[in-house]
Amino acid sequence: MIKNNPASSGVLNELIKLEQGFSFHPSIDYNVVRRLSSFVGNSIETYSVLARAMDRARNYIVEQDAKGVSVESGRVFLADSMTGSKGRFTRVWHAPDGGVWGCLLHANTLLPHARQFLSLAVGVACCETIRSYGVETASIRWVNDVLVGGRKLAGFLVESHISSLTDEEYNLIGFGINVNNSDFPKELSSIATSLSTCLGSEVALSEFSEKFIARLAWNVGLLYYEEETYLHEDHYSGAGGQHFILEKFLKLSDTIGKRVVYGFDVMTTPQYEAQVLGVDQYGGLVLQFDDATSTIEYSGEVRYIDSRI
Amino acid sequence: MSSEIDFDELLAKYHSDPFDYVDVFAVHTGIVTFKVGDGDEVDSASGEWQHIPGKSLYEINRERNPKLVAAQTNGIVSDVCTELDGKFVEAGEKLMTIKHPLKKKEIIENLLKEVLYLFPAPETAKYYFAMDIQSRIEKKDEKSVVIEPGEEIITMSLMKRDTPVCYNGERGVIHSVYFKPGVSVPQGEPLIGICSTEKLPLIQKIITRVKADWDSRS
Repeated sequence: MIKNNPASSGVLNELIKLEQGFSFHPSIDYNVVRRLSSFVGNSIETYSVLARAMDRARNYIVEQDAKGVSVESGRVFLADSMTGSKGRFTRVWHAPDGGVWGCLLHANTLLPHARQFLSLAVGVACCETIRSYGVETASIRWVNDVLVGGRKLAGFLVESHISSLTDEEYNLIGFGINVNNSDFPKELSSIATSLSTCLGSEVALSEFSEKFIARLAWNVGLLYYEEETYLHEDHYSGAGGQHFILEKFLKLSDTIGKRVVYGFDVMTTPQYEAQVLGVDQYGGLVLQFDDATSTIEYSGEVRYIDSRI
Repeated sequence: MSSEIDFDELLAKYHSDPFDYVDVFAVHTGIVTFKVGDGDEVDSASGEWQHIPGKSLYEINRERNPKLVAAQTNGIVSDVCTELDGKFVEAGEKLMTIKHPLKKKEIIENLLKEVLYLFPAPETAKYYFAMDIQSRIEKKDEKSVVIEPGEEIITMSLMKRDTPVCYNGERGVIHSVYFKPGVSVPQGEPLIGICSTEKLPLIQKIITRVKADWDSRS
């Protein structure tokens, strides 16, 4: 029996709740955002076990292409557990029962300047969901790792996939959220945590998934909303004309001001240490060296000094 | 990819004028203020991570947002369009030229770029070889690794979004690698230079010829 089995109607209900729950914003029409969001989570495939949800999403694209029918953007693939899950590069990701493991398939219809914020948007969606359960200390480590008390609760992997038949490009947004799984392998036990550990009790997994997918949908919808706003007005809807996803990221992230070690693959090849000064208008991390010079990084990753997760 | 190379003509050209002339353009619209003049010597970015900016060339101010633009290459400033100083310019308008003295290695690279198939970076991002290509390079060396059209060869990484990049040139070996893992490559700049196996001797001939000729004359 599949344990994590959210319904698309449940996702839509959560989306409507989100739309109704926000207070007035002078630049954002929440009804438009909700309508732009509603394609995400319209179909949800659930499995008891998968090797990798991203592989299932790739196979789905191949199957649809072979049948000559359209690929459904916004389709979500979930598995109670995954046997071949991995993080970036060759890192192993532990995905047993109790977590939310999956992938969102998104046809890349965003312009490049909007797509730049996709990775930030998924981290924001997860952090907002975790905070909605009362874990106010949840924060985002640039780009989109979600941490609580310095321990990793969720991680994301965004990969592009180009159909060999149609040349259509898709974003495969992989997510791994430790929800009710609180037993970690020895090598992860000191650096990982789960929502149930933070709350002291388990949560309803399918309900959590509906809330998370709705938040993910909402933030993807904001990408489209902000893309349109920028094209019309030459600025975004956030404070000072910044991208609204960036504004939300800055409120949720604890990276700014931290001393970090940076690396393209920071675990195997750390490159340098620096102080985080801020995030630029495109989401790039502004880092200052000890000699007061600075640089901006648009890819790679950081680990906080003394907290190398 | 050309096999008809007139070495004498090319080498004579580099001997008589061993410089690259790098035009500098306005990065976006705005009011431009020059920070250098004709004849000024400028340095490019330096430091272990290229984090120390080069000499400031000009400031461009759009809607009260000033931006200092620094030299990307070292050399001597020439042809500064002084008539534009303090004026509004369009994005892409030429502002000056930097006369960059070429080293032997750069001359070889320039010559090779005329005979190799250059595979460009699709976006400004960081790049690394796909795992399969990387393991083949580690087992042999890159000049023994043959790549085919349609093969996934490189991964582009931008804001933690990884995009596989498929090769769309002609079959050949990876002769030159122009990117380093962890270092950003501007859009359109070459990532790798590919050479068909039968043309490898020609490439080696170019390198040997330039080295011998340059050393004997200098």
